Order: sequence, then structure tokens, then C-alpha cells
Amino acid sequence: MAERAGHRGYIGARPLNGSRSPQHVQNIVIRDYARRKNLQYLLSAVEHIMPGSYMVLEDILDELPRLNGLILYSIFMLPPEEARRREIYDRVLREGCDLHAAVEEITLSSRDGIQAVEDILLVNKFATIL
Amino acid sequence: MTDTDFLQADEQALAQRFIDNGFVTTPADDRAGLDRIQRRAAELAADYLKLPHSNDPYAMLDGIHTRVSVDDLNGLRLHVFNGLNAEPWFRPTYFRLARSTIETIVGNELCMQRRVNLSIQMPGDDSSLLATHSDVWSGDSPFEVVVWVPLVDVHRTKAMYLLPPSLNGDMQDRMASLRSAEELYKTIKPHATFIEIPYGHVMLFNQTLMHGNRINEEPGTRWSMNCRFKSIMSPYADKRFGEFFEPILLRPATRVGMQYKLPGGFHG
Repeated sequence: MAERAGHRGYIGARPLNGSRSPQHVQNIVIRDYARRKNLQYLLSAVEHIMPGSYMVLEDILDELPRLNGLILYSIFMLPPEEARRREIYDRVLREGCDLHAAVEEITLSSRDGIQAVEDILLVNKFATIL
Repeated sequence: MTDTDFLQADEQALAQRFIDNGFVTTPADDRAGLDRIQRRAAELAADYLKLPHSNDPYAMLDGIHTRVSVDDLNGLRLHVFNGLNAEPWFRPTYFRLARSTIETIVGNELCMQRRVNLSIQMPGDDSSLLATHSDVWSGDSPFEVVVWVPLVDVHRTKAMYLLPPSLNGDMQDRMASLRSAEELYKTIKPHATFIEIPYGHVMLFNQTLMHGNRINEEPGTRWSMNCRFKSIMSPYADKRFGEFFEPILLRPATRVGMQYKLPGGFHG
């Protein structure tokens, strides 16, 4: 097997939970996370601003055989449909990769971690913020 | 030109080329400035590689793939990128390369991206590719243009490709049915044009059109810079004023207007 390159960053232009972070700040957060976790950071790809588009995430998933994993700026960048998220977890783990979320400091490297991630996303869907 | 036209004939022709083709290429307005940028880029690359400065910056840049590995390419790119952007003369010079074209296409009260980007694409390297995209999709305003400047001759896959305006709308309409940017490229591939630009020329293009690059299959390395400009009062998207753009030309009438306050204190 060819040597894998590192962890691809994934940032976005859409608001997350109603707030916006500049793209260069998202990159700083990911780069700092990668440094602290001793991960090789690869230049981030930027998801489309159009609501519901995950084309750029799909490109990263296609790239997984050449990567060690991906680092999302936030776990809340994953698609809103649970079934689609579970397909993503499956692909990442099947390729022998891991998935990180920098803001929430989440690492998903085995199936055991999936429910904890899903719990965060579900609670966020229903809980309100004052 | 007739006495009823506001624009001169050459301005009208340039504007029409931009509208029809999505880009214009012109000789650099400030050729000495371009040579200075090219020379400084080559010096910075030599410093990074611990080599003596070359008397032939073009050859140094075009042949850089014989001196650096793909693994070390991003380190080299960041060194040259940071070094160029640290030069106080760099951004004003970059603007002067295309000033007349920018003013015709965009306007004469302008803001400019704070850092000029640098791309290096060595022959056969698949680590520096930009998938098919429009800058607007990642948060740029449709009111922006890109000034794209090669430091070496570029043609075929050593250049970037652009989808013509006449096809862009139809292709965008098909996007939601496609899974990835690679699928999108396969869809537009028969229509995408690689833009040939000799060193000494600059390109200004419409970044709402789909564009990108492929693996460079030419024998030399591509070095190119890109930077966004927009009319200062036109709408912004996710790339905001202050954090991404800064004003470079603000005219006195606008300064007066922004500071003016109507008389107050009426109680009638």
C-alpha cells in the first residue's frame, strides 16, 4: 500500500449553529488541533456555501485511501441526516482512517465512538441556547 | 467613439471581451514590476533550498522540480508566499500590473485581498490540484474578479482552465445531481479551455465561472499568483471587508460622504 499523506482539513462558508467563523480562523483552529494531536495537517478544502451541498466532503471521502483521516472544523458540519452521517462514519473507518472535529476535540477512530458523536448532534438539534 | 458614449472604444472592447469570454489577458502595465516580483520569488526559492541566487530567475522557477521533492513543495511555497507578502512594495506592484484593466472592468474605488496567493505546480504532481469550483461557492462575492499572474509561460495543463460564460449556467443547473467535484469536472471537461498566457502578461477573470487545474503534464513547473479585487462599495459575501479585503483606493468624495452628518437638533 502506498504511504498515506496525513489529515485533510475541512472548513466551510456556511454559518454553524447560527454563527460564523472566518475561514482563516477555522484553519488556525484546525492547524492548532493537528499540532497538539501530532497529526500531519493537509491544506483544508472549503465546503460550498450553497445549503445542502456536500460535494467537497465527498471529494475528501474519495481521497481517503491516500489519507490518514480528516479534520472537520466542527462536528456540526456533518450532514443533518443521520443515515448519511452513518455512511460517512462507515467509509472513514472502512478505509482505516479516523475523523476529527477540532472545535469539539472529538476523535472518531472506531465504531465504539459513533454513538457519542450522534448524541452530541441529536442533543444539539433539540436543545435551545439562551 | 461617438459623442454619446461614456466609455472609450478600447474600454468598451475590453469590457465586451470580459463579458463574452469570462477573461481578458493583457501585457503587464508595469513590466519592470513583474520582473521584480519574479526575481524576488526566485531569490526566496533559492534561499529556502540553500542555493546561490540565480541570474536567470525564469529558469530557476521553471526548473524547480529538479531541485525540490513533492514532500517539501508546500514548505517552499509557504516560504516564498510569506516572503513576497512581507515586502512592502509587493501588493502595490501587483496592483500596478493590471491597474488599467481592473479599473475598466471593476472600477476605480477598490479593495484588494490582503495576501496574494501563490501556486506552484510541478510536472506530474497531484498534491496541489484545485478541483472544479467557482470562488463564489466558497464564500467569495460575485462582485469580485481575480487577477491571475504567471511567473513563467503557461499553456495546456500547465495553465488553469475556465468554463465559458455561455455554458456556465447550464452546468450549474446540473450540479445538484452530481456527487463530487471530480464528477463535475468530467461533465464540463469537453467545454473547459486551458488559457495560454506568456510570461509578461496578466489575466483578469470572472471567478463566478467554473475553473480549476489538472495535473501539469508539461515539462516545466507552473508558478502563478492570484489575488481578488472588488469595487469597495459592492456587496460582500463570506470573505469580509477587513478580515479578507482591505481598501486600496478610496476617493475624496467617498471619504467626505462617509463622514458627513446632516444638521441636527431640530425639535419641530
